[in-house]
Amino acid sequence: MTRSWATMEDFEAFLDDGGLVEADDPMPDAYRQAVFAFIEMHANSELMGGLTERDWIPKTPGLRHKMAVLAKTQDEIGHGHLLYMVAADLGVKTRVEMLEDLFAGRSRFHNVFHYRAVTWGDQVAIAFLVDAAALISQQAVFKNCSYGPYKRILRRIIAEEGFHMRLGEDRMLRIAEGTDRQRLMFQESLNRWFWPALQLFGPDSESDDVLLRWHIKSERNEVLRDRWVQRFVPMLQSYGFTIPAPDMRWDAVRHRWDVGSIDWEPLKRTLAQGGPDSSRRIREAADNWSRTAWVRAALSDNGAAANGAGNGSTSTGGS
Amino acid sequence: MRVYEVFVKKDGRNEFRHVGALEAATDELALVLAREVYLRRAEGDRLWVVRRDHVVAAPGDFVDPNADKPHRHHDGAAVAARRMAARQSPS
Ligand SMILES: [Fe+2]
Ligand SMILES: [Fe+2]
Repeated sequence: MTRSWATMEDFEAFLDDGGLVEADDPMPDAYRQAVFAFIEMHANSELMGGLTERDWIPKTPGLRHKMAVLAKTQDEIGHGHLLYMVAADLGVKTRVEMLEDLFAGRSRFHNVFHYRAVTWGDQVAIAFLVDAAALISQQAVFKNCSYGPYKRILRRIIAEEGFHMRLGEDRMLRIAEGTDRQRLMFQESLNRWFWPALQLFGPDSESDDVLLRWHIKSERNEVLRDRWVQRFVPMLQSYGFTIPAPDMRWDAVRHRWDVGSIDWEPLKRTLAQGGPDSSRRIREAADNWSRTAWVRAALSDNGAAANGAGNGSTSTGGS
Repeated sequence: MRVYEVFVKKDGRNEFRHVGALEAATDELALVLAREVYLRRAEGDRLWVVRRDHVVAAPGDFVDPNADKPHRHHDGAAVAARRMAARQSPS
């Protein structure tokens, strides 16, 4: 099907009608840039999250959980692979350009990866609260996303994020039923991660947010944030933990938890790479990138040829 | 590096389905990366990777004429209406 849109109005009418844009469609440049920036930040966040997860493989208690952390690390790096490819196909930056920008501190990734995970309790809080926050926002994007390749890849990512969240909940339950020391450790992690996880959704959406207008996001930030609050506040309380929000109150009229006013300064600092752990994280990721240059060289065209890994030797396996 | 399109098939139930793309230096490495990125939980048991520059894609409007071929369909509505009428007026 050939299609093109003479004006932005035509294009927006197409989007409002539930139209899906494909990579080779002649989309308006502003839309291309907005979709690209959104997917690039998502890809960066998966990669940065995967690298932190990797740090915990040797420190994870017990073989079963260690293997699950290994699987989660592979998932996050895999999500990065999927998303960098979808982003690269928009023709704004190549995969390598995106990676180099990330490691040079020139591009953004989610606020939660600008903090340091200090204890095992932090890892549990991340898998439970942060993966759930990511899942809620990804589900909302998936539901109505106008960019076809992103929507299709999100289906796979969402299924795997569900696995991460269930892992987190399973670990959280074990800790909740554990010793006083374990419970205290998790409470301290909750104190550290509650607000960053909540801020992952961002401040209330602007009325002229193009991400909403072009159906890249389908729900406003404050709606998603509220969904997370209503789900996790009662759940954490039911396990006997205290929500670190002194102004929080139960709104009996609306039947909802209200966490009180939110300080957005920490979020702004992370977006400017000025979070508590931003520089170490970026440096670590950049070091990792340069340390693995030999792997990329070995897997490049020349390297592969030198190693005799030729083409065409592998059968397709038939149909 | 080359771009490959990835196709996956599950059992005898479905056709090969396009699941996404990846970049790799050789066919062999493309298969390895496809397995690790798209099939970590055995989402399929058959896997094809096809170099993007080997895909023959129809030009944009190539299929358009077939969107207007009503004589290739029959909705059965007229027959159903006559049957219904026959049932309602016993002979
Ligand atoms: Fe992920
Ligand atoms: Fe995850």
